[in-house]
Amino acid sequence: MSQYHLAAISFVLFTLAAAGFLTAGGLVRMLMFLELMLNAANVALVALGPAAPSQAYAVMLFAIAAAEAGVGLALIIALASAFKTLEAGGIKELKG
Amino acid sequence: MIINAAIYFFGGLAALATLLMLFQRDPVKAAMLMLAALLATAGLYLALSAQLLAVLQVILYAGAIMTLFIVALTVTPAAWKDKPAPARIKRVLGLAAAAVILAELLKVSTALKTVTAAPEFSETGTLEIARQLFGPFALQFELLSLVILASIVAAVALTSRRRTAL
Repeated sequence: MSQYHLAAISFVLFTLAAAGFLTAGGLVRMLMFLELMLNAANVALVALGPAAPSQAYAVMLFAIAAAEAGVGLALIIALASAFKTLEAGGIKELKG
Repeated sequence: MIINAAIYFFGGLAALATLLMLFQRDPVKAAMLMLAALLATAGLYLALSAQLLAVLQVILYAGAIMTLFIVALTVTPAAWKDKPAPARIKRVLGLAAAAVILAELLKVSTALKTVTAAPEFSETGTLEIARQLFGPFALQFELLSLVILASIVAAVALTSRRRTAL
């Protein structure tokens, strides 16, 4: 197995998540696909990098993903209470 | 041989779950498919000899982050309302953009075709990862604590605004 095959697996995962992000209308669903995109990037890092340093970076990326999910979902809850919708197309005001 | 098969199996499983998520309208079913994709990725990490990451993937992603998503779905009734299907042109454009991204990524990584990965099940111990985190990456690791602190403050500030406004 060449590294190209490992890269291809993570690229396919990333692309499917990106397709979901681009076609989804709901904010929760968009955040889910965003997490999967970060997950695919993590897979590429672990599969292609040298063992210990890449895994150390992946551990840090886990923490960043957790922080991103926390802030993202707090934003979604705040938007849902302000606009009564979670459709990205229905939120058109910047000032809440 | 078995390791290669495991990599393809778990990679395919994660891709299949993500693909099914694309066409799933029910948010809870989509969350369950995301859970399947995350667990398949944990298996992929195990096949890539990243045992610690596999455990962290299950605890952090499949445990903590998925719980956050489920809680967010339950406290936001707006997520359950019947939504109109996305416009066909939007879907086609999104899928076309994703196909372009995949083609470009595969194109730029053709140099990797000559590099043999030959994954073997080795023990990349937690001690070695800890040495990296507290050695060369110590500054990044410490900065990460600030990121997490900032995200906690932001999350509390965002969700408590409604309470103070009343």
